[in-house]
Amino acid sequence: MMNTPQQVKNPSSSLKSRFITRFLGALTKITAEDPISSSSPTRIFQRYRRIKVASNKSMAYSVRSRRIWSRAMLSRFRSRRSAFSGRRSSVKTTNCTTSPPPALIKVTINEKKTAKGGLDMQTDELRELVPGGEAMDVCNLLDETAHYIKCLTTQVQVMRKIVDFYHLSK
Amino acid sequence: MQPCSREMQAMNSLLSPTQQIPLQDLQPNGNSGTHQAQIHNPQFDPTSSHDDFLDQMLSTLPSCSWSDLKSPWDPPKSDETPPSNHDNNVGFHYDEILASKLRQHQINGGGGGTTAAMKMMMQQQMMLPGRPIAAAGGGGLTMPLHNDIVDGSSFKSPNQQGGEGSVQALYNGFGAGSLHGTNNQSPNQPQPFHHPQGGNMQTQSFGATAGTVMNQSQASGSTTGGAPAQPKQRVRARRGQATDPHSIAERLRRERIAERMKALQELVPNANKTDKASMLDEIIDYVKFLQLQVKVLSMSRLGGAAAVAPLVADMPSEGGDCVQTTAGGGGSLQRNSNGNQPSANNDSLTVTEHQVAKLMEEDMGSAMQYLQRKGLCLMPISLATAISTATCHSRNPMINKGSSSNHPLLQSNGDGPSSPSMSVLTVQSATMGNGGLDGSAKDAASVSKP
Repeated sequence: MMNTPQQVKNPSSSLKSRFITRFLGALTKITAEDPISSSSPTRIFQRYRRIKVASNKSMAYSVRSRRIWSRAMLSRFRSRRSAFSGRRSSVKTTNCTTSPPPALIKVTINEKKTAKGGLDMQTDELRELVPGGEAMDVCNLLDETAHYIKCLTTQVQVMRKIVDFYHLSK
Repeated sequence: MQPCSREMQAMNSLLSPTQQIPLQDLQPNGNSGTHQAQIHNPQFDPTSSHDDFLDQMLSTLPSCSWSDLKSPWDPPKSDETPPSNHDNNVGFHYDEILASKLRQHQINGGGGGTTAAMKMMMQQQMMLPGRPIAAAGGGGLTMPLHNDIVDGSSFKSPNQQGGEGSVQALYNGFGAGSLHGTNNQSPNQPQPFHHPQGGNMQTQSFGATAGTVMNQSQASGSTTGGAPAQPKQRVRARRGQATDPHSIAERLRRERIAERMKALQELVPNANKTDKASMLDEIIDYVKFLQLQVKVLSMSRLGGAAAVAPLVADMPSEGGDCVQTTAGGGGSLQRNSNGNQPSANNDSLTVTEHQVAKLMEEDMGSAMQYLQRKGLCLMPISLATAISTATCHSRNPMINKGSSSNHPLLQSNGDGPSSPSMSVLTVQSATMGNGGLDGSAKDAASVSKP
């Protein structure tokens, strides 16, 4: 575990530094709009949602389109945004269990046939957890899961540091 | 005939143009081949891609070179030994052929420095028992091997990378291709030796000699280490197996999945499970845990201690773990381990009330934290009455703070898990409904889970 957010391999371009930059920017924007103490629970709840979304979004943007899961997440955000703006696009948001497109269904079915019986359940569950996982075969799914876990841990680390910082400064 | 040429084609397609040069030149009609334009480009200079080229040459040539080389030679080269003389001495002929081709290639301005090593390498390779020869036409060399056993995805990358990755992928392709070729050649030509065994023997000895040759060559150390091991591994894996393309693809797939699982094992803590299913369970739990942590941390980022509990209702009780882990960080998230609050008698309550009131005057956040630590919460009076009527089994006195009242009232929730969440939800919905009620005042409705 790195001790400070600045301890990155390549300060200018590592995933962690990119995420930190984006997330802090989003966070400052949110805190500027919504001062903490005078918020009603509604606002607070909304704020929480915004922060969570900002965190996930910052991470997804930091990864760009290099990964399937980040692409799926970004498209999810965009569709959600367009839905909010009134266009009512039909793409659903979190953890959709939509069946994969027909061309890929065959792949997944074959995979399941050849895989051990008990693993199908878990791979399905993993698919639900990892964004964009429905349309991946097992091999890619595991790969994406590894990268996703790595990014999530980075997210958690950074956020925890920020929370500690705020907590101490009080 | 086709398999060999396919191997050749696959190899050529796999190799970057740099490495495709020698084979082309080694063919009599190499200059008229389809790869001519690619091959006779100045890329083949001995200086920069020298080592890479050597590695790939060494790796790829042995597996399919002689057979493919032989095929285009049959028609035009009458002065060469006819293929019917085919036996294990064919390598010897190849030696000469290749040497001549090599010289020819040298004349063509190919890498000068490489030729000596190449020659040596080829000679060594030629010592191997002759590969089955197919009367393959020197057809289009661009046909990829993807229609063969191994999936094409692993072949794509060598086209872009040089070096080790491509070498390994080539070995993949060649191992499969060679066996496939071996099998398919049997009906085509009467060969004195048995194909599968011969193929295996060849590939094995190829691996051995390739290893030695590689060691002698100027290959970079890593590829030297990697490349000889690769064919040996591949051969061993395939040795007793049917050369069924499906089983090979299956095996590759399983290997890849095993690799990924191993990588995941390192990421996930408590990954000492050997069982695949339990490993997957661990992974799933860990991903859920991390997502939950992000949620919780984004809540605590709100700075103050307020309004955590309405959001706590959002999470299932499994969030207990992560709440505890972030207890140090997010003060607002501290789980109240005080357990159920005893029915507070009025005295202690009033004391607490006063304390909270005092704190509130100074700093809302600390007041909230104090409340939370006590396992108490704050809510508008109207709401509290609503809740008290709703949750009739609430044993504790419900104390509320009105929005404009100066008497801070505290509510303690000593009930089981169901009612806190219910009351939390009602708080949440109520406050959302009564936005105007809370708007001006400083109060916040927060219910903490006991």
